Amino acid sequence: MARRKGIVETHSYRTFLIVAAFIFILPIWARPIPGEALHMDIVNLMVLTGIYACAVLGLNLLLGYAGQISLGHAAFFGIGAYTTAILCTRFTWFPTWLGVILGASLAGAIGWLVGKPVLRLKGNYLAMATLGLGEIAFILFSQLKGLTGGTVGMLNIPPLSIFGLKFDTDIKFYYLVWAIVLVIMLLTINLVLSRVGRGLRALHSSEVAADAMGVNTGSYRVKVFVWSAVLAGLGGALFAHFQLYINPESFTFALSILFVTMVVVGGMGDIWGGLVGVVALTFLPSIIQVFPEWIPGIPESLTNFSNYALVLYGLLLIIFMIFLPKGLSYGMERGVAAGRRSAKLLLDRIRAHD
Amino acid sequence: MIYGSATVFTLLLVVTLSIKGSTGLQWIVSGLTVGSIYALVAMGFSVIYSSTRVINFAQGEFSMLGGMLMYTFASKAGVPVPLAFILSVIIVTLLGAGFERLAVHPLRYSSVITVIIVTIGFSIFLRAVAKWIWGSDPVKIASFSGDKPIRFLGAALVPQSFWVFGFTALAVLLVFLFFNRTIVGKGMTAAAANPDAASLVGISTSTSSLIAWTIAAALGAAAGIIIAPIKFAAYSVGTMLGLKGFAAAILGGLGSAPGAVVGGLILGVLETIAAGVFPSGYKDAVAFLILILVLLAWPQGLLGRRQDVMA
Amino acid sequence: MNESILEVEEVTKLFGGLAALDDVSFSVEAGEIKAVIGPNGAGKTTLFNVLTGVYRPNSGRVILKGKNIIGSRPDQITAMGMIRTFQTVELFEGMTVLENTMVGCHSRSKYGFLSNSLRIPRAMREERRIFEEAMQILTDVGIETRASDEGMNLAYGQQRMLEFARALASQPEILLLDEPAAGLNPYETGELSNLISKLRDRGLTIIIVEHDMGLVMGISNDIVVLDYGEVIARGTPDVIKNDPKVIEAYLGIGTE
Repeated sequence: MARRKGIVETHSYRTFLIVAAFIFILPIWARPIPGEALHMDIVNLMVLTGIYACAVLGLNLLLGYAGQISLGHAAFFGIGAYTTAILCTRFTWFPTWLGVILGASLAGAIGWLVGKPVLRLKGNYLAMATLGLGEIAFILFSQLKGLTGGTVGMLNIPPLSIFGLKFDTDIKFYYLVWAIVLVIMLLTINLVLSRVGRGLRALHSSEVAADAMGVNTGSYRVKVFVWSAVLAGLGGALFAHFQLYINPESFTFALSILFVTMVVVGGMGDIWGGLVGVVALTFLPSIIQVFPEWIPGIPESLTNFSNYALVLYGLLLIIFMIFLPKGLSYGMERGVAAGRRSAKLLLDRIRAHD
Repeated sequence: MIYGSATVFTLLLVVTLSIKGSTGLQWIVSGLTVGSIYALVAMGFSVIYSSTRVINFAQGEFSMLGGMLMYTFASKAGVPVPLAFILSVIIVTLLGAGFERLAVHPLRYSSVITVIIVTIGFSIFLRAVAKWIWGSDPVKIASFSGDKPIRFLGAALVPQSFWVFGFTALAVLLVFLFFNRTIVGKGMTAAAANPDAASLVGISTSTSSLIAWTIAAALGAAAGIIIAPIKFAAYSVGTMLGLKGFAAAILGGLGSAPGAVVGGLILGVLETIAAGVFPSGYKDAVAFLILILVLLAWPQGLLGRRQDVMA
Repeated sequence: MNESILEVEEVTKLFGGLAALDDVSFSVEAGEIKAVIGPNGAGKTTLFNVLTGVYRPNSGRVILKGKNIIGSRPDQITAMGMIRTFQTVELFEGMTVLENTMVGCHSRSKYGFLSNSLRIPRAMREERRIFEEAMQILTDVGIETRASDEGMNLAYGQQRMLEFARALASQPEILLLDEPAAGLNPYETGELSNLISKLRDRGLTIIIVEHDMGLVMGISNDIVVLDYGEVIARGTPDVIKNDPKVIEAYLGIGTE
């Protein structure tokens, strides 16, 4: 009886260790060999993956666990990015790590300010309200020219440095970002295995029943929204110090949709699934760009991913919701299990023949 | 609340007229013009919402597609305007009905969030495909009856405005007649008010959902077509139109057809006046601000019910 | 046992001008089983929704253990010791039997987002306690062998038991049961009746809304009869059985 809980826990933490080990060794073998063959810079893409993973881990808690939708998380990502960018370019002495922390905090504070009233709304309305908030943030990023540099954006953002250690190469940034992601991952696993995680899932399933069982659903909703805003802000701040320039185009509705798609493709309410979704959708553009080498004669319009990124996201959202609502990782698990079963069946038959 | 806001709104119109004179009048007329379009989009939202409790995030894209198809037929292929109009509406309507059957109908037992995500997926899919087909530059569509402005009390009014008013009035009338005078429409109204009554009136929820999506797609397409000569048509106009139509639907009370019309007209006028007063870059922010304020302060709108809205 | 634990005073709840509850008053003594009966649409479920803070009545007061709870949130009322079950079983999807029950411990545990994210020892001890209590309750209602199955996969009767377990996990003083026998076969109803009596013997106060007259007459100490939102009769089962107004209300609609 006590075993079930034990199994779930060790299962999650064991996966965590495997993923951590994989992330540690990835750059060591990924750099020379496949990077060359695929024309893609795996380390660079993995940095971006890690940055998005920050935001998606938070959004997965909000959307996948608590069942509350946000179509405006690009706003929090942007607030994090602009906060640290403005501080660190205005005041050259300003410690960049503090900029990142303040960026995440400000995203959280704004998340709390808007979340408190907005989260009283039900699903449909919440989606529209957060969409509106995202659009307002985008308009402000473009229009507050004195502060944000308008549509040109902000250039010359200094690289992140922590106590004299400068994260100015991809590989250094890789280890920094993934160390942060792994810490967030661990915190998230802890959280979802606790009473808070159960409360959030209860809220997702039946709000009336969750209320009646003593879950303060209003407070949970706001807290998980704020936490997801903090994580998105953190991702955005890291993004600014990685790209070293930002402009409003990086924080559009398309980014909010990309985050939601990552959660949906990976699997709502499945932490590891969320990570799978981030990796899949971050690598997808680069993989598609090497198509001409694999498939000769493919038209060029098909290799430029930005031409049809949204066509694909749209289709993925529809297809996954209808056919694979539990996401890719769940689908893979089922696929592997089915594969094992049929392999076993085949083996049994062969044996029976002998 | 209703009388209070009516008073404030009237006061705003009077102040605008007395300070700005003929410019003010022009603002109000062009506000009513875009407001009519918001009203049509809002009715699309309301019709689907009242029969299925789903918000169709692709509603604005129906309008975008209507405008773009009209461009292809009327401006590129040289099809006569009435025929091009009908063709465009039919194509969009079939698309809406097809999506309902293929994607919304199979999810009728799923949670709201699932259906939201699917309609969002549909909306960005349509938008991206439109960008693929028509490119990202806005296109111009000729007005139905020339561009020579009509002078009225010192204000210059575009003739297309009258097409917009006339068409909106006609569409509202047709929708009203459908829901109040036909057996199917009356059945849908009864079923919307009380889902348990659906089986009694002989309209299955499945049929009712299909009809609702068909009407909404047709309304959206028509709205997109008649506004296209005034505002440019482009692949990207749907999102904004959808959001504003939704804001109008909320303002009037989601699920109420008269509310949608009133909400649309009010929103159109407020937005145009705000655009005249504030820097133009903030024009859309004003609309979103109105949307969020309405959602927070008065989510049931003029004629809606509060318990549908609040968690 | 004459001390009243719950007082419902002149509660009126209107829906668009129609009174779902019309000036309803009654009191519940600690340790009794109080039944609320009435034809369909009499306002029984509305009454539960008012008692548990889902609806706010238009007027009237509900006094729980000496405190007016009108305006309190449902979770606060649960924390004060009054918890409900649902007429249509409302289990949490995708959660195991054990997890469902552990949610019921929510009001008696406190560690939040930060403590649990960081796994501080006190929060872990609390998790341990929640787990053990939930297992104990599952054993009490007899579904402990299904602890790691998904709640939604249980047979209907066991789902009802799980709802019971989940409510009991909050260690309530008052248990509100909304048609607990609905959909149960006679054997299961008998088991249910035993369980309810056992809980009463442990000192729980129980308010039950039920259509199964056999069950109601068999276990309740006192009955309140609602019709069109009004209290039309109250008293012991024997009194109610012979009350002409009650018979008329039921016969007028058709017997259940």
